[in-house]
Amino acid sequence: MQAPATPKSQTAPIRPKARVTRRSVLIADRVADWTIRIGGLAIILAVFGIMIFLLQVAIPLFLGASVTGHFQRDIANGAGNPRFVAVDEYNTVGILIGDDGRVSAFHLPTGAALTVNNLDFGGGVATAASRTLDWRDMAFGFADGHVRFARLDPTAGVIAGDSLPPGLTRLANGDSTDGKVVYAAAPGGQYRRIGVGVATDAAQPIAEGAAIVAIDYRVGGTIERPSRAFVTVDSKGVVRLSSAETRMNLLTGAARTTITTATLPPLPVGTQVARVLLTANADQAYVADAGGTVYRYDTRNLNAPVLAETVDLLPRDARLSAFGFLIGEQSLMVAGTDGTVAGYFRLQRESASTGDGYRLIRAHDLEPHAAAVTGFGASQRGKMFVTGTADGLWIRHGTSEQTLLKLSHAESAGGRHVLLSPRDDGVFAFGGDGKVDFWRVSIPHPETTLKTIFGQVWYEGYSEPGYTWQSSAGTDSFEAKLSLIPLIFGTIKGTVYALLFAVPVALLAAIYTSEFLNRRARSVVKPAMEMMASLPSVVLGFIAALILAPIVETWIAAVILAVVVVPLSLLVAAHLWQILPIDWALRLDGVPKLLMIFATVALGVYLATLLGPAFEYVFFAGDFRAWVNGSTGRATPFLFILLFPVSFLAAQLAAERLDLPWLRAIADRTRKDGVVAMLRWLVLLTGSAAIAYGIAEILAALGADLRGGVVGTYVQRNTLIVAFAMGFAVIPIIYTIAEDALNSVPEHLRAASLACGGTPWQTATRVILPTAMSGVFAGIMVGMGRAVGETMIVVMAAGNTPILDWNVFNGLRALSANIAVELPESVKDGTLYRTLFLAALTLFVMTFVINTAAEMIRQRFRKRAFQL
Amino acid sequence: MPPDSGHTFTTSGAARATSRPTDLRARGEPFLWGLGGALAFGVMMVAGLLLLVLWNGFATFYPRPIHVVTLVNGDVIAGEPTRTEDFRPPATEVAALPAAVRAGIETNLGFADRTLYRTGNFDLYGDDFRWITDYAVARVATPPDLYLFERLEWGAFIGRIKSVDLAGATFYAGGIPLDRLVAAHDEARRRWRQIREIEHDEIGRVNQQIESERLALRKVELRSGGPATDYADAARRTDARVVTLTGEYEGLAARAAALKAENARYTITLTEIGGREKSQNLADIVRFYPANDLSVLARLGVYFSRWGEFLTAEPREANTEGGVLPAIFGTFAMTLLMVVAVAPFGVMTALYLREYARQGRLVSIVRISVNNLAGVPSIVYGVFGLGFFAYIVGGTIDQVFFPERLPNPTFGTGGLLWSALTLALLTVPVVIVATEEALAAVPRSMREGSLACGASKWQTIHRIVLPRAMPGIMTGLILAMARGAGEVAPLMLVGVVKLAPELPIDGIFPYIHFERSFMHLGFHIYDVGFQSRNSEAGKPMVFVTTLLLIALVALMNATAIVVRNRLKRKFVGGQF
Repeated sequence: MQAPATPKSQTAPIRPKARVTRRSVLIADRVADWTIRIGGLAIILAVFGIMIFLLQVAIPLFLGASVTGHFQRDIANGAGNPRFVAVDEYNTVGILIGDDGRVSAFHLPTGAALTVNNLDFGGGVATAASRTLDWRDMAFGFADGHVRFARLDPTAGVIAGDSLPPGLTRLANGDSTDGKVVYAAAPGGQYRRIGVGVATDAAQPIAEGAAIVAIDYRVGGTIERPSRAFVTVDSKGVVRLSSAETRMNLLTGAARTTITTATLPPLPVGTQVARVLLTANADQAYVADAGGTVYRYDTRNLNAPVLAETVDLLPRDARLSAFGFLIGEQSLMVAGTDGTVAGYFRLQRESASTGDGYRLIRAHDLEPHAAAVTGFGASQRGKMFVTGTADGLWIRHGTSEQTLLKLSHAESAGGRHVLLSPRDDGVFAFGGDGKVDFWRVSIPHPETTLKTIFGQVWYEGYSEPGYTWQSSAGTDSFEAKLSLIPLIFGTIKGTVYALLFAVPVALLAAIYTSEFLNRRARSVVKPAMEMMASLPSVVLGFIAALILAPIVETWIAAVILAVVVVPLSLLVAAHLWQILPIDWALRLDGVPKLLMIFATVALGVYLATLLGPAFEYVFFAGDFRAWVNGSTGRATPFLFILLFPVSFLAAQLAAERLDLPWLRAIADRTRKDGVVAMLRWLVLLTGSAAIAYGIAEILAALGADLRGGVVGTYVQRNTLIVAFAMGFAVIPIIYTIAEDALNSVPEHLRAASLACGGTPWQTATRVILPTAMSGVFAGIMVGMGRAVGETMIVVMAAGNTPILDWNVFNGLRALSANIAVELPESVKDGTLYRTLFLAALTLFVMTFVINTAAEMIRQRFRKRAFQL
Repeated sequence: MPPDSGHTFTTSGAARATSRPTDLRARGEPFLWGLGGALAFGVMMVAGLLLLVLWNGFATFYPRPIHVVTLVNGDVIAGEPTRTEDFRPPATEVAALPAAVRAGIETNLGFADRTLYRTGNFDLYGDDFRWITDYAVARVATPPDLYLFERLEWGAFIGRIKSVDLAGATFYAGGIPLDRLVAAHDEARRRWRQIREIEHDEIGRVNQQIESERLALRKVELRSGGPATDYADAARRTDARVVTLTGEYEGLAARAAALKAENARYTITLTEIGGREKSQNLADIVRFYPANDLSVLARLGVYFSRWGEFLTAEPREANTEGGVLPAIFGTFAMTLLMVVAVAPFGVMTALYLREYARQGRLVSIVRISVNNLAGVPSIVYGVFGLGFFAYIVGGTIDQVFFPERLPNPTFGTGGLLWSALTLALLTVPVVIVATEEALAAVPRSMREGSLACGASKWQTIHRIVLPRAMPGIMTGLILAMARGAGEVAPLMLVGVVKLAPELPIDGIFPYIHFERSFMHLGFHIYDVGFQSRNSEAGKPMVFVTTLLLIALVALMNATAIVVRNRLKRKFVGGQF
């Protein structure tokens, strides 16, 4: 550092030392420099880090599936042309079951054969067969009209590494076998023991002297009391629905099976039955012929089954090649030789000309294959399924309609046996030529696409495609419905109603504080309003939901009345004030006037509670909640209440323009401006009320009724409550920013306007407000951002129903509340988890846009205010 | 825009016009009242809410009289009147009423009054509250021999004392020596606290030691990769330690059992108003008083003893009774930790913006980022905290430092540290804005003076600027604390629980347990109000907790305002 240049005359005798800055100072300076720079820029990193992190978690929802491995093995097929193929839960053992009951099992990764027992068909060859969705229960029909049940149990147990039996043959990847059972290496030094157990029941006669050509078998009920039902079609075209009950004799241990059979209404003569299907509780049976015509039987009443519907599901020239349920047995997938794949459900339709009022509706059209579909396999866990053609295998999802994976042509893939392994992590194909193909696949989120999350999806059992959020339910076959639209709608609904309440209150209060309050009153009132901002939102939510909601429910008519009465009483008070002599008015201006305003508001609220019941009696037939349900009363009163302020404002504006010289003359002559103004106002009021009522009557006569629209069924925790509670959170924000903006309008503008003779009111509305407009607008935007993200109030007071309607008396489910409620319960990296991250990202983006816009508007305002 | 003066000044006859008062329409009086009305409404909203909370919060603990209500149908109930409201009785019920009552309801447009009585005795009635419509009441009495017992389980009991058994000495109603009962009760409670201390603290410590021995062994096993010699040694040592610890545990358990047996000798038999009896260990009664026979002083005694319990005890009865000490503690610990995290980050950013950065595009991006950070919904921070801090950072820490505890997460789940960091991210804009203001208020001349004297930039900031700006920075930190203390939504995702058996700070090494989940006043409100079996029973607790939370937040805000005002005064003087 250089020594300062000092005049020679003052130089001390001491020679200036060649002073050097200490190293430590320099280093500290450099370190501080970098740390602070990095720390400052870290804020950008934080914002974008959050966004990128959320995005990175959400993105896998939209990535399809991937193949993690593929192999083809030649196997020793002892089952001839197999009827069924299966693999165990861990993709270790493959199983083929032939028409003659022979079972062939093999170690899947190597193709090494295992010795297993065969099914006991007593020498017969099955002419029809069927199995349940989990592959464990099978039923076979024979040419002599008998039926046999069988069970297949891939047995699995875990044993410790040191208790492996000796003398095993090594297979691959640490797997080994004793010829019957595979010991597969499992994590933690343990082994999984996987074998194949089969059991066959005795033959049961069903069709006398006719071969069974088609059968379907379902096991329902509980484990202790299973109910087994099956439907058969014999070669004479007779359709029978039977239920089997097995009783164990407690003394002998012998099982006795009794079968009850009902014959269903006959099929048309000459029907070539291709496939039959039965639902688990045996209330619907479907018989499909080779041409794709489906005969649907309603068997809810087994004593009087009806042929409910006959419908052709395929184009004329196509033949049926696959026909099966997806899990839950509501979605019916139909594929034809023309390559089409479509999903149907049975839905109640008023126009249905069917026997039971239901109709099969084609709900999903999936991407068609170029070649005939030959194989079909449904997932045991979700709505996924695999279709096979001569060209390859496609993994698809029935609800989202997406094709997740296209496995290209493999030699054996053209066969009719394709299946998804029990954990949906593998695809197995058997072509009949002794070759099996196995693909390991990873399909983490088959049910989500951009369309299922943001578009309309037709879920089974729903009468039409829609936006639905329902993430969990009690049953295994439940399909999560993850559309963010109802939640986004809920957020928007809450925000709109909250702003409808908060913006007027906050803006008007801000204008009054900035322009018409003296400094002392302001220094009390402004912190009081700002204190609202520091109220924790959990407190607001609690008060709103547990204290306010029950009160508002009882006093709803009074609350609605207050919206009219409080402004009206203020207007009346204002006109009375105008009648006061001018010197009185001037003397009382300021704090006394403010106190009077307070008193007027309080009086208005009191009047509203006083008149509430009477108002309810006159306008809403005595019971508001019955009225909003639409059960009593007429549409006119509410229309009138909404139209009245509009018509009054319109009349007021028109009257502003209208200059009535004679009225002015009267005012001049009598020197009673206030009285004249009041009379004039009363005329306006009654006139506009009459006009509003007239319009309301006309609209009501034309059929307009807001019930079912913005008003409707009343629930206790509703949007009105949310809007009010959210007001506490939003009002102080808008108020503070708007007040600051109004206040920072340069004083000379105000002075100029007043000097030109403008009243304070004219100055405020025509000079100050337009100048500060962009700042005020920015305040509204920031308030909106707060309302969008507000969580606790919505969680507690909004009822959390994910619905799409604008009814202010109904609840809502906002994005934020949904995240708070469901994220703690969701499994890490599961579909729901990622969807909730997507919801958070949506929220982030919404507020990011709003806040960035607000900030830009604000910066423009600052620049403009600076230039003035 | 020129003011619309058409009516006031007319070009012809200007002399006459000036004498005329301003047209009333220009004064806009009705509009002014509308504006003022909005302001009044806003202020009344705040005032009303605060009054509601204050009134309910302060009144909750004051002992109320017990009314014995005889109904028209002959039923008798005893309870504390809780509140009264207007309601609309169902039409079928009204139709069955006597004509006079019906006429009264009809003139009232279908409304009638009813009172909510807290009847207590949940174990006998299956409910603690009962609505009684006013027209169903025949008469109300306040007999002096009714007591209210606050119990450890089943909530309050309202009834009479039938008999007392004090270690074999039995007394019956009418001849109960109250002072002996009170003394025996105090003794029993003291023993109960001892039992608690043994069971909770000492046995807890032994259990923790056994667990840490087991974990240490597991660590050896993981390191040596299975059974090996050093593992066998360690296993032997662990077994020996566990045997001693188990012995210790049994000794403690025996002590607790002896105290319990002693407590079981002191019982009290109560009868409810209908005559049903209930026997109770004296030790299981927290507090009892004759509700209708209390002097004002005694009432105040009960009142303050309840406040004392509220502030210093742990919750019981699914959080609807007892105290909130763990929640207060958790709120404080989390908030302080948050401040520690937020302070350097916020101050650094503000320093960068004010002292280092050249104004330009980068700075405006930083500013937009700060504003966005302030505007991002708090729940999004919670989601980020859970996904990033807990699962990714915490999961990594677990794998590196605590492999022996897997698959049970240590840091890999919500906890104190992650909550504090999440909230730090949430409140950093508050600190930045406040610090920036404070830095801007330091006069430029001081910086220039320092630099001119040869100080380096960092020396200037460190010695001159920061000390001057310190009150402002403190303000920002306090405001951040106020914001953080009131925030609940993100905490629900990153570590708050309804009941945390262990405080995050205790006497067991390493004393501060960053990974533990904790209780929080705000979440307590949500939990008791919305998740408990009976929201009516929890309401008093919620109100008091609300009062406490608002008081806490208001206190912090008030401190911040005072500090800010002092700062302003100081520098307003300094600048000119």
